[in-house]
Amino acid sequence: MSELNREAPSAGVGGASSVPAGTAGALTVNGVRREVRAEDADLTLLEYLREVLGLTGTKNGCAVGACGSCTVVVNGQGRRSCKTRVSEVLGKDVVTIEGLEKPDGSLHPIQQAFLDAGAIQCGFCTPGMVMSAYALLLRDPSPDRSSIRTALSGNLCRCTGYQQIVDAVELAASRMRGDGA
Amino acid sequence: MKSWNPESVQNVLGRTKYIDDLPEPAGLLHGQPVVSKSAHGKLLSLDASAALALHPSVRVLTARDIPGENELGTAVSDEPLLVADEWTYRGQSLALVLADTRSLARRAAALVKIEGEELPVVTDPREARAKGMIILAPRTMRMGDPEAAFRDCAVVVSGRVESGGQEHVYLETQGATAQVRDGGGIFVLSGTQSPTGVQEAVARNLGLPMNAVEVDAPRLGGAFGGKEDQAAGWSALAALGAFVTGRPVKIYLNRKDDLTFTGKRHPYSSDYKLGLDAEGRILAFEVDYYQNSGACTDLSPAILSRTLFHAAGAYRIPNLRATGYMCRTNLPPFTAFRGFGAPQGIFVMEAALHKAAEAMGVDPIELQRKNLLRTGDSFHYGMPVEEARTERSVERALERSAWDRKRTEIDEFNRTRRDRKRGMAALPLCFGVSFTKLMMNQGGALVHVYRDGSVGVHTGAVEMGQGVNRKIQKVVALTLGIPEARVRIERTRTATVANTSPTAASTGTDLNGMAALVACEEIGKRLSAFRSESGLGDAPWETLVSKAHEARVDLSAHGFYATPGLFYDGKAERGSPFAYHVYGCAVLTAEVDVIRGTYRIDSATLVHDAGNMIDEVVDRGQAEGALAQGLGWALLEDLRYDGTGKLLSDTLSTYKLPDAHFLDFPLDLEFLADAPNPKAVLKSKAIGEPPFMYGIAGYFAVLDALKAARGDRLRVPGFHDLPLTPEKALDYLSGVIP
Ligand code: FES
Ligand code: FES
Repeated sequence: MSELNREAPSAGVGGASSVPAGTAGALTVNGVRREVRAEDADLTLLEYLREVLGLTGTKNGCAVGACGSCTVVVNGQGRRSCKTRVSEVLGKDVVTIEGLEKPDGSLHPIQQAFLDAGAIQCGFCTPGMVMSAYALLLRDPSPDRSSIRTALSGNLCRCTGYQQIVDAVELAASRMRGDGA
Repeated sequence: MKSWNPESVQNVLGRTKYIDDLPEPAGLLHGQPVVSKSAHGKLLSLDASAALALHPSVRVLTARDIPGENELGTAVSDEPLLVADEWTYRGQSLALVLADTRSLARRAAALVKIEGEELPVVTDPREARAKGMIILAPRTMRMGDPEAAFRDCAVVVSGRVESGGQEHVYLETQGATAQVRDGGGIFVLSGTQSPTGVQEAVARNLGLPMNAVEVDAPRLGGAFGGKEDQAAGWSALAALGAFVTGRPVKIYLNRKDDLTFTGKRHPYSSDYKLGLDAEGRILAFEVDYYQNSGACTDLSPAILSRTLFHAAGAYRIPNLRATGYMCRTNLPPFTAFRGFGAPQGIFVMEAALHKAAEAMGVDPIELQRKNLLRTGDSFHYGMPVEEARTERSVERALERSAWDRKRTEIDEFNRTRRDRKRGMAALPLCFGVSFTKLMMNQGGALVHVYRDGSVGVHTGAVEMGQGVNRKIQKVVALTLGIPEARVRIERTRTATVANTSPTAASTGTDLNGMAALVACEEIGKRLSAFRSESGLGDAPWETLVSKAHEARVDLSAHGFYATPGLFYDGKAERGSPFAYHVYGCAVLTAEVDVIRGTYRIDSATLVHDAGNMIDEVVDRGQAEGALAQGLGWALLEDLRYDGTGKLLSDTLSTYKLPDAHFLDFPLDLEFLADAPNPKAVLKSKAIGEPPFMYGIAGYFAVLDALKAARGDRLRVPGFHDLPLTPEKALDYLSGVIP
């Protein structure tokens, strides 16, 4: 399950050694360093991604941590961006759905597997699902179906019965391990 | 290599633009409705001064600002866009606040002071009926003479059945953006299943002709019926804001507002009486449905008619009377939701049959099998049963699920275990396809073959995840004889395909796919005539197309389809309202933790009639997703209002829907082979709604286990109350529910 880290570490430390005036620090989003304006530090990470950076791949399904649509990966961990303040992730490395595609434009194996397994209907839950799966496979390259379900249990999908989504993650894991398929 | 919906590529890349993802036009204002805080009251005054003082961008619009008719209701005029004098449910829009940012708009909305006089609140449908609060006259369908037939019955059972509402939880909430068009009029981008419905509502509210209003529907993040009629209000409010201010306006409800303001599946309370002969054949059935319609009519009459049409479920019942009452209460107007009244009716039928099985001391499956509809029977609305696939589906599902062996195993398990009990149940399905409103059974398409050979297709269908675009893409590619990759399905817009029916009632592909096919055949005819005239022989498609264009052959065509053979006499309640029926059968098994009342579904076997499938991946996804929602309705999703009409389950943490753990069971899905359907496009069958009913088998499987725990497996409780939540399961186990 993705983390709900409500306790905000003191803001402003960030990774940058010196914080320019008017900024709260910096973070990395999909490999790009972003200076955060002071007035943006209190936004949720979800608002920051969508409204400030225009990265609308991350979805808002509830804004209260109950649906998983807004899941992103912060320093390798799945995290609900609607329950995370920008100030909590200064100095950290954020990956969103837009950051998975390879530089040559080809799909990440998880993205490809979601297509191949028929795991997408309306697609609104898809970015959050893919990011939760990404976080899972970073820490466990060979999850069984039950740990896949546990990893996805905070992500709601109203369209599918989750079977194809679990199939997709299993397929992606095997391809990423190089099991053929 | 597998193929998939081309739009899904955008989904996995995070590039799909839902309404709130699109770049905002310059000068955009955000809209936030000010809503009633009680379920019934008279509006005395509305003071916007504090809101206006908050920020210079704030505007507050009320009913007085509506230039046209202040009305959203189509069947009955009882739903104002903005309340002018009396609100009838909690969360009803009283005013619209506009401001530069979303958070400003929300803060300003909270500052609008409403004074009103509280009026009495009714939330229970039976109470509403007793008080004469009925929408339209009750409706009755009848066949044979049930009163007389009951006298010949060896067994007569009766009871009361409750089924709860259900929240759609489309993951993308309701929203719309509106702006004034160049040259006047209004353009609305609406998260709707019914672009023409929105167009009509906006035109009516603004006092404009329909040609001054253009509505586009982008891809929706789920809808399930919740964006059929109920998308219109948010679009109309956005359009009002744009019309009055001249600036673009966006309304996008947050989850809590969406849960609180919008309607859901209708709760029903019903009474039934069922009579059988000594062999277990049904002779007579009577049922009264008290539909909790909510505060406004919305789609309640059409939903009630589908309940009445499905009163007999998948069974032959020679003598039947079914009566439905639309009871007006002070809850948000209940509305379309996958199944559209059929699940409520079918649940009552199944509850009655289970009760009869108890009275006769037999397993319910015996009565289910004995009474299945057969070809040559007649539905109670006078339509002959053609090509019934009921028995075929049921027998196949019993065989595939190894019913007899499982029954023995489960009984054995229950004999030896005290802490856990298992149960199983089957649900035979018969579901009529077509809008029950005749006029709506039409579809349109516009197909352009561009001169490089690529193809653009416009239809009235809205893609909301159900795969209609994928299916139409295949229909077009097949009909023109070209690769799928050459076919692009455009988003739905009223200026391109006009007078469209909502994408609903599972008919999206039947109507629009057929219209696209008609258009493609027209173009195909022109091209093949040109091919032979010009002696092009077997020149490839691209050459043919470019030569045809040079020779000034029209490469575009409009296609139209109206489902043939439909008619209905509403007075006599007789006719042929459906193009065809979908059949199938589910077998579900469940296990209950007797101490805690918790349960899990152990397995599901579905045998489903999808005709000749256009796309198996899509149909599989629809069947599984529908089962998931059906199980949610039957077991988990507990929609709760208190006596004052306040929604208690108003967040996704208090309203629990199926998650990946709940749906963790082996699902064996078989589509009936050799089952072409001559009545729909490429011999397919509609798939969206029918498999929802399979969730009902989940209810009875859990109940079967609960009964084993009480040592009376063949006994059923006196009344049925869906959803069968773990809380109710505990009450049943401890005897609180007799
Ligand atoms: S939007 Fe963050 S969990 Fe729902
Ligand atoms: S695909 Fe629609 S919510 Fe998951």
